[in-house]
Amino acid sequence: MAEALKGRNPVTEGPLTRAALIGLAIVFLLLFLIVPLVLVFAEALRNGVGAYFEALAEPDALSAMRLTITVAVIAVPLNVVFGLAASWAIAKFSFRGKNLLLSLIDLPFSVSPVISGLVWVLLFGSHAALGRWLAENDIQILFAVPGLVLATTFVTFPFVARELIPLMQEQGTTDEEAALSLGASGWQTFWHVTLPNVRWALAYGVLLCTARAIGEFGAVSVVSGHIRGQTNTMPLHVEILYNEYSFVGAFAVASVLALLALVTLGVKAVLEWRYGNQLASSHRH
Amino acid sequence: MRISINHVTKEFGRFAALDDVSLEIGSGQLVALLGPSGSGKTTLLRSIAGLEQPSAGEILFDGEDVSSLSVGERRIGFAFQSYALFRHMTVLNNVSFGLKVRPRRTRPPRAEIRKRATELLELVQLGGLENRFPSQLSGGQRQRVALARALAIEPRVLLLDEPFGALDAKVRKELRRWLRQLHDQLGLTTVFVTHDQEEALELADQVVVMSQGKIEQVGTPVEVYEDPSTAFVSEFLGAVNTFPCTLDDGIAEVLGTEFPVEPLDTEGPQHRHGPAVAYVRTHEIELLSRERQEGVPAIVRAIFPFGGGIRVELAVEGYDMPVQAEVPRAFFESGELRINSGLYVRATNARVFPIDRV
Repeated sequence: MAEALKGRNPVTEGPLTRAALIGLAIVFLLLFLIVPLVLVFAEALRNGVGAYFEALAEPDALSAMRLTITVAVIAVPLNVVFGLAASWAIAKFSFRGKNLLLSLIDLPFSVSPVISGLVWVLLFGSHAALGRWLAENDIQILFAVPGLVLATTFVTFPFVARELIPLMQEQGTTDEEAALSLGASGWQTFWHVTLPNVRWALAYGVLLCTARAIGEFGAVSVVSGHIRGQTNTMPLHVEILYNEYSFVGAFAVASVLALLALVTLGVKAVLEWRYGNQLASSHRH
Repeated sequence: MRISINHVTKEFGRFAALDDVSLEIGSGQLVALLGPSGSGKTTLLRSIAGLEQPSAGEILFDGEDVSSLSVGERRIGFAFQSYALFRHMTVLNNVSFGLKVRPRRTRPPRAEIRKRATELLELVQLGGLENRFPSQLSGGQRQRVALARALAIEPRVLLLDEPFGALDAKVRKELRRWLRQLHDQLGLTTVFVTHDQEEALELADQVVVMSQGKIEQVGTPVEVYEDPSTAFVSEFLGAVNTFPCTLDDGIAEVLGTEFPVEPLDTEGPQHRHGPAVAYVRTHEIELLSRERQEGVPAIVRAIFPFGGGIRVELAVEGYDMPVQAEVPRAFFESGELRINSGLYVRATNARVFPIDRV
């Protein structure tokens, strides 16, 4: 920096330009990320710590937290299995329709979350044949946990697969061929060779998948039915409380979501710092 | 173990990587599959291993058809060009992997596995590095770990894909000598793929020269070098000059000397007239001083005075492309060789092949 000030440094921008660019980025960051985050906690704690914990201990709030965790606990492992299977198939085998499968995996990213929820309503709603059959047999999917899980799984599907596919493609198939030539079975090869080769990328994918599963609003909102204490996840509960002018309650639940986001950010930073070279797509996120 | 390859063809889509290839590999031999990239040598090696399924033909191990056996069932030791060491396992765990994954009834006890892996690491001169990870080893060490890992399953044949491809020149030569010793010590049938003619000629008992999915010639290193049976082998082996020439009743004139056309191996009419190509190795070009007035006039364009033989680049009268010659050092030191000096050149030997008119 000191040398750059002495004379014009031909390989970089002038100090003024640099200061302006960095300053702009910091102001933007403050305005759009830090201020809202601080506001969430400020609003949540407006009536003191007692009121904050009281709002969190409210039965509907607790139920929303339980439901969110339940949905995430089911949806994330499902996507780990689907994601591993899909990326294994795409990276290690060549078959017709591979590119189509790749585009399909990305579909949830490109489709509006509302549509992602609506497809389940159309499929299982009372005006669909399948929906009527389910209703006759007393199987509840919409406005219940199964619907929430389906919508969340759909929306969060790409996270694990997208993280694994580039890394697995880069690693190729020679490690697997080596294991097979040494007499390992397919399962042993997967368990002892393929999985350890992608473990950190998998952890990274699971982290992003979990964060999204917890925070998902749009798709879940469509299939939830908003039954308080039963089918409201945390983001939905925040909305309801806010609409009822129960600001402390709304921001208290929101602060829990914000805390989870901060933890996610921390773990993500550690993974990127420690195992960045083993995350094929660490530059993308 | 003896390997018989009978009429093996391998097609990738419409491209034939192997085109009706037949080959016998004798027990205990060290065989090189030599050819440029795309010649099918790696596909042949992978077909023997069971990593590729041939489109047609059969592969026999000691007379037994192994076509329906998977790579794991064939009991082969395969060393990959990129080594394919398991990066999250220590050297010892890499070497013992093949024993650890055996089904319980054939798996040796834990202590026995450890003992055998340690012995193998001693064999490949890596004793003491058991607890290192692959990333902490040099290229040559990684290749030896890969060999120890392949040997651990007591394979019937050792298959090596470009075993020295990723190593620098010095390590490559050391490892080459070491592999020859190891082969003589173990007596295991070994097949390796290489695009490096020097490697094939120095290391192998038998050299299989391949081009465009076919075998061009099989023979001892001396046979394929001294007596190449096709134009391709002549051009591929050794440092060689290519001269277009014309056959007249089976005789072609190359640099002022007449040479007969090479006899044909296969049945069919031999072309005794028409266009041909003559292959002359660099050491088969003789430089003569001005006074003798023999051969063809030439001008020295460049001199590379490194090593026992001195490489000289010449512009020869009547030929468009530069001609490379290799002369003894004594000739260079006599002071007769100077850039832009004029002299005469003559071919002492040439292999002439007619250009087939299809």
